[in-house]
Amino acid sequence: MARIHGLLAGLLAGLVALTLGFAAPVWADDTLDRGIGSEWSSLDPQVNFDAAAGWIQMDAYEGLVSFDGTGKIIPGAADKWDSSPDGLTVSFHLRDGLKWSNGDKLVAQDFVNGILRTLNPDTASEKGYYFYSVIQVKGAKALSDGSAKDPASLGVTAPDDRTVVFQLIAPSPDMLEIMGAFQVAPLHKPSFDKYGAAVFIDPAHVVSNGAYIIKEVVPQSHVLLAKNPNYWDAAHVKIPFVKYHVTEDVATELKRYQAGEIDVTYDIPLNQIEALKAKTPAEVQIAPSTEMIYYSFNLTHEAFKDINLRRALSLAIDRETLEGKIVKGENIPVLSFAGGINPDYHGPQIAEAAMRQADREALAKELYAKAGYGPGKPLKINLITTIAEDSKRRAQGVALMWKKLLGVETDVQPMERKAWLDAFYAGGWDVFGDDLVGDFAGPETYLAYMRPSADPGYKWDKPEYDAAMDVAAKLADRTARYEALAKAEKILLDDYIFAPISIAVNRHLVKATVHGWAASAAGYNNTQFLTLD
Amino acid sequence: MLRFLAKRLGEGALTLAALVTATFFFMRLAPGGPFAKNRKISPEVLAHIKAAFHLDEPVYAQFGRYVWRLAQGDFGPSTRFRDYSVGDIIAAGLPYSLTIGFWAIVVASAAGVALGIAGALQRNTATDYLAGTIGVVGIAVPIFVIGPLAQVIFALHLKWLPVGGADQGWRSLILPVIVLSLPNIAYISRLTRSSMIEVMRENYIRTARSKGIGARRILLTHTLKGAMLPVVAYLGPATAGIITGSILIETIFAVPGIGRHFVDAALNRDYPLVMGITLLYGALLILFNIATDLLRGWLDPKVREHG
Repeated sequence: MARIHGLLAGLLAGLVALTLGFAAPVWADDTLDRGIGSEWSSLDPQVNFDAAAGWIQMDAYEGLVSFDGTGKIIPGAADKWDSSPDGLTVSFHLRDGLKWSNGDKLVAQDFVNGILRTLNPDTASEKGYYFYSVIQVKGAKALSDGSAKDPASLGVTAPDDRTVVFQLIAPSPDMLEIMGAFQVAPLHKPSFDKYGAAVFIDPAHVVSNGAYIIKEVVPQSHVLLAKNPNYWDAAHVKIPFVKYHVTEDVATELKRYQAGEIDVTYDIPLNQIEALKAKTPAEVQIAPSTEMIYYSFNLTHEAFKDINLRRALSLAIDRETLEGKIVKGENIPVLSFAGGINPDYHGPQIAEAAMRQADREALAKELYAKAGYGPGKPLKINLITTIAEDSKRRAQGVALMWKKLLGVETDVQPMERKAWLDAFYAGGWDVFGDDLVGDFAGPETYLAYMRPSADPGYKWDKPEYDAAMDVAAKLADRTARYEALAKAEKILLDDYIFAPISIAVNRHLVKATVHGWAASAAGYNNTQFLTLD
Repeated sequence: MLRFLAKRLGEGALTLAALVTATFFFMRLAPGGPFAKNRKISPEVLAHIKAAFHLDEPVYAQFGRYVWRLAQGDFGPSTRFRDYSVGDIIAAGLPYSLTIGFWAIVVASAAGVALGIAGALQRNTATDYLAGTIGVVGIAVPIFVIGPLAQVIFALHLKWLPVGGADQGWRSLILPVIVLSLPNIAYISRLTRSSMIEVMRENYIRTARSKGIGARRILLTHTLKGAMLPVVAYLGPATAGIITGSILIETIFAVPGIGRHFVDAALNRDYPLVMGITLLYGALLILFNIATDLLRGWLDPKVREHG
């Protein structure tokens, strides 16, 4: 029995020690506390694919270019760049005297190494497609699928310590959009070779080149970063520390914000937006993201082969009412697919965009009847969506509108995210509550995805669309390219293979003591451009 | 006693083996996989990622690999948290869950037993009704109501404690511990009260009283020891339940424990993490049940003889 007592005493002592060790309180006003949502998936810059973890990455690493608070491209590690007239060779010139956080010299090859590691199948990264699909770098595809092994076969090279050269298969005027730290963080090979991927979460050994260095990593709790004295622009970095807090529950996050524990939230609970806008309008920061929400029709199902029906269902949705009065998440209603995110792109809308909603609805009724449906023979369909609160509200709202206006009987089926993704490929859906997160804030990321030749799973047979996209893909001039893309989008919208619904938004609460916060579609709000009172 | 322990541990190991097998195969029945989150990945690249985690092998081979690794104490890599192995994640989160669970059980036992004794000794008085009310409230009002309410009162209005997180030392512990202990305070006080009342009617208590033994001594050495039996029987599973069942608490108070992985890992189809946590919970449950039986044997000679 004495042994049991001893055991219990030991256990007790251990737990008391744990309690005391529950981390010492930090009361620092020189720390910016940012919410990061439910988790960060990885701090490995070549592997991480999550936007939220991307914020940490953008603070800790710097790409060839950088983005100011509004998402505008500004010089990063490279202070200038130039392109050959055909747009197929792009050279980046690094700043003089760049250093890693440990004082090592940062050279052009470090950027090449980062891209090589992203493409290497052994890294098991999902991000390789940036280099063979979003832009088409010579040799990238073969390296990523393992058919080529020689690093020299990659069309990204470092002819000298201060020049990174990209050789492309097709010109890409939007290329700079993916030259930031999220896609092209450099790799400090000596520390990686020594410690492996574990180095990225190890504050004692991690080496980075951004405005901040990772100082503390507590899984599921927080990541603390401190200013990097070896950063080339350290003189302009005003906030000494930034701490990213995991807060899974948005309601808890809001309370932590109100209690002053967090300065910038990850999100705002849907049902609190109105009240917060009334009470502290200046702190509510809502701006469009790069996530497009649309409802896809299953073109393999007999009913949806009739364009009249697809058009009727699209026109019957009153998007303003749906997003403004039913979902209430501040999403921006749209009648286009690739427009509304980049102001330089003047793309088309669906043909009925100029009509009033009442007229669209009248037309929807006509088209519905033309497709052979009516009160005696209502359309019966399912609608697959995710269990996220806003997705469910949206689906129920759309079902209600279809029911009221046309008499369509819709079975809304909310599914958890993984099952929802699986359901898409299983193909049992009639209408799929779809979304597409753009790789950058430009039209091409959306339009290229829909190419039938890229087989996105919609079974849409449209050689004209591929042809129009091929025309655009050859253009190196951005203005001309956007005009060509707009022509392609017209073909896409005219077929009504989906009903565009809205552009999702980034929602944050930002304390009045935080200055410099601006709307950025891609969500770039690097701490280095902020100040704290 | 040793034979009893060996037998129970053996049974426990068998249960765990069944649990591992069932979980492994049931999980594969759920639609979607760990990497089905991005429709843009090309099939070749997806194949490479799957191969890196051996998800391209037949399920029985994956199972064999898992069991083989497990036998060596390796829970495998997390497919969601790419920087960590499942062992790392459990090692990082378990101390938080254990600390909160431990204090919640201490608070629940102390407060529950005290309220129960008070209620039993002063039956149908104001004290008894107060204890009863706390009991009803504790059982009836769910944690997801009490938790946020406590945050509003103690963190937002009174500003005594932080809303959540784990970065303010013991201050971060108070709200989650109290909220987690509330339903158990309720159960324990009701159990203690009814069991006390029953024991006080027993012959051996009457004998003790007729022998002229003082009321305090009867209470402390005779009544309480007997009355604690059902409470102890409840404490075993309750402790396991508190430590593992703090999922809601950890979410509401942003505690970096392992509870919330239990649900999230399943949603993310993080197979190794689901397995690791299921196994851990299973083992904890079995161990606490064995500990309870040992404790009951010590308290009650009848159990010792028949058990």
